[in-house]
Amino acid sequence: MIATTVRRWSAWSPGLEDANAWSNWCAAPTELASEGRPDARFLPAMLRRRCSSLARILLTAAFECCKPTELGEVATVFASRHGNINESIELLDRLAERQPLSPTAFSHTVHNAQAGLFSIAAANRRASSSIAAQGDSFACGYLEALTLLERDPDRPVLLIVGDVPLAPTFAPLVDEPPGSYGLGLLLARGGDGTQIAFGRESEARAPNAPGWPDAIEFLRWYLSGEPSLVLGSARRPWRWERLQ
Amino acid sequence: MSAGSPGCEGVRASRPCSLAALGIVNALGRGSEEIWPRLLAADQGHFRRRDDLVPGRDLLVAEVSGPLPEIPPRLKRYACRNNALLLTALQQIEKPIADTIGAVGRSRVAVVIGSSTSGVSDAEAAIRHKHLTGTLTEAFHYDQLEFGGASSFVADLLQVDGPAYAISTACSSGARALATARSLLALDVCDAVIAGASDSLCGLTANGFSSLQVVSDEITNPCSVNRNGMTLGEGAAVFLVTRDSGGIQLRGVGQSTEAHHMSAPDPEGLGAESAMRDALEDAALDAAEIAYLNLHGTGTPLNDAMECAAISRVFANPPPCSSTKSLVGHILGGAGAVEAAFCWLVLSQRTSGSLDLIPHAFDGQRDPELPRLRLVPREGLRTSLGPVMTNSFGFGGNNCSLILEAARS
Repeated sequence: MIATTVRRWSAWSPGLEDANAWSNWCAAPTELASEGRPDARFLPAMLRRRCSSLARILLTAAFECCKPTELGEVATVFASRHGNINESIELLDRLAERQPLSPTAFSHTVHNAQAGLFSIAAANRRASSSIAAQGDSFACGYLEALTLLERDPDRPVLLIVGDVPLAPTFAPLVDEPPGSYGLGLLLARGGDGTQIAFGRESEARAPNAPGWPDAIEFLRWYLSGEPSLVLGSARRPWRWERLQ
Repeated sequence: MSAGSPGCEGVRASRPCSLAALGIVNALGRGSEEIWPRLLAADQGHFRRRDDLVPGRDLLVAEVSGPLPEIPPRLKRYACRNNALLLTALQQIEKPIADTIGAVGRSRVAVVIGSSTSGVSDAEAAIRHKHLTGTLTEAFHYDQLEFGGASSFVADLLQVDGPAYAISTACSSGARALATARSLLALDVCDAVIAGASDSLCGLTANGFSSLQVVSDEITNPCSVNRNGMTLGEGAAVFLVTRDSGGIQLRGVGQSTEAHHMSAPDPEGLGAESAMRDALEDAALDAAEIAYLNLHGTGTPLNDAMECAAISRVFANPPPCSSTKSLVGHILGGAGAVEAAFCWLVLSQRTSGSLDLIPHAFDGQRDPELPRLRLVPREGLRTSLGPVMTNSFGFGGNNCSLILEAARS
């Protein structure tokens, strides 16, 4: 397994907007709410106007997970199953009506739009990756963060995971827990924090599917003090273990 | 399972990463044997015009012609053009992949696929159908559109159970997929990676880039005084990546972001410069050792100006350079893998210590405002064997430079 230190976490979901709210939620977890988005007042107005709900959520998680001096220095991984597909669907609707596209709207539909907005807002010029892996997006995002640590072991990696519900055109096609959310984890090779090992679960078993996204189940586990967590599918089960 | 082994430590000193086999498809053809001579000949005869992509525009594109292989019925939820391009590439390296799976086991093979379009062309058809009839096409499945569908398709096709995910960082996606493959091997989470990228022509990118006014009406003309934009292309390149120390190695990975603009590079090229320097440092190479540089070279006024400026700062004497986008178009999320594949071909086709370089196809009228690069002439150029570099710069200011090298025997 691969040992990493979780130095800090942050999370946002409608109605769950600070550490206290999350620790209460963890004591009695329920489905996440879908409607709502953070103010994101730390963003300059011009940038904020261009942010989708997902961008506001993910950038809020990102800014809350870093000290101001870290914002420009961390490498980043953004993991999201759907990313900006809702915005893409709006453009596809326009194309179906043979309407022209707005260049700004188009450039904000790329999967790494949130990473780009973070880079601009935080004046961050470090390595950045954006990934997707269907139902396995949290574990694969965690793994991608470890690849950036492998490449540059002394540079902490900010992992940002999140999604908003899929637009009605496609929502019926996907089976997943409801909710809008963003989770930030500042991962490093050492330093203050909780040491956690990550790797493949050796037993092929189907982990229990929680009623909320994997990233939030990770947070629940992280705050719970339980020794280990298994997430994923019977085919690809992943294991996290607390080392201290 | 032993908890707490170092993982990130102790593996960096030596991390062999062999690009052991290549499958490739683009407008020039299918497979290395068909594509390599056409690259060397700077064959620009594979562009065509399509009037169905952008309303009112007869758009020049570098399209993959002819029928693509059918997605197996058991995987029909993944049946889209983007995955058919991946399948075309994978079929070319079926045997080495099967041999590797047999040797290391299904759970030790990972899949990392870059794309910026995934199956959006098929989603467009589904949504057009919905506008006409009220329902999506029966053939449409969300797995075709979501980025993670591409990696799941490859993993399900090959029946491998290692980590499988998609990277989508716009036009650096394909290069980043190879960078990730090397790190996954170094982390020992797998023994082989199927890594590459695929992008397919679609209305979304054609209209989007047209709206940004960066698409040329003629074949893209990189580094020319007459350049006026890119030409869109499509294709896929997929490598079997292993921990072997022989063959063609991925020697250096350089990465940066720009903190500048969502859809335009920093005009000074500081991000591009930083990615190239980072790759050289990672490879422990001097700039003077690079034998060839495959440019990002999109043919937009801004890209070529900033890239040439960045290169002239990184290299006191720039190596011979060419953009291959005037041969296969800009394959966007696939470009980084396809152009790494062209570098792989340059190295693997070497003869007695020499490399045959791919010509820089353009109208020959250099832009006098650009720092002077050594562009590979139409008739080609032979140079001595050395490591080669490829640049990929994407929307959101995401840059990745890779260095490939023939293993020293």
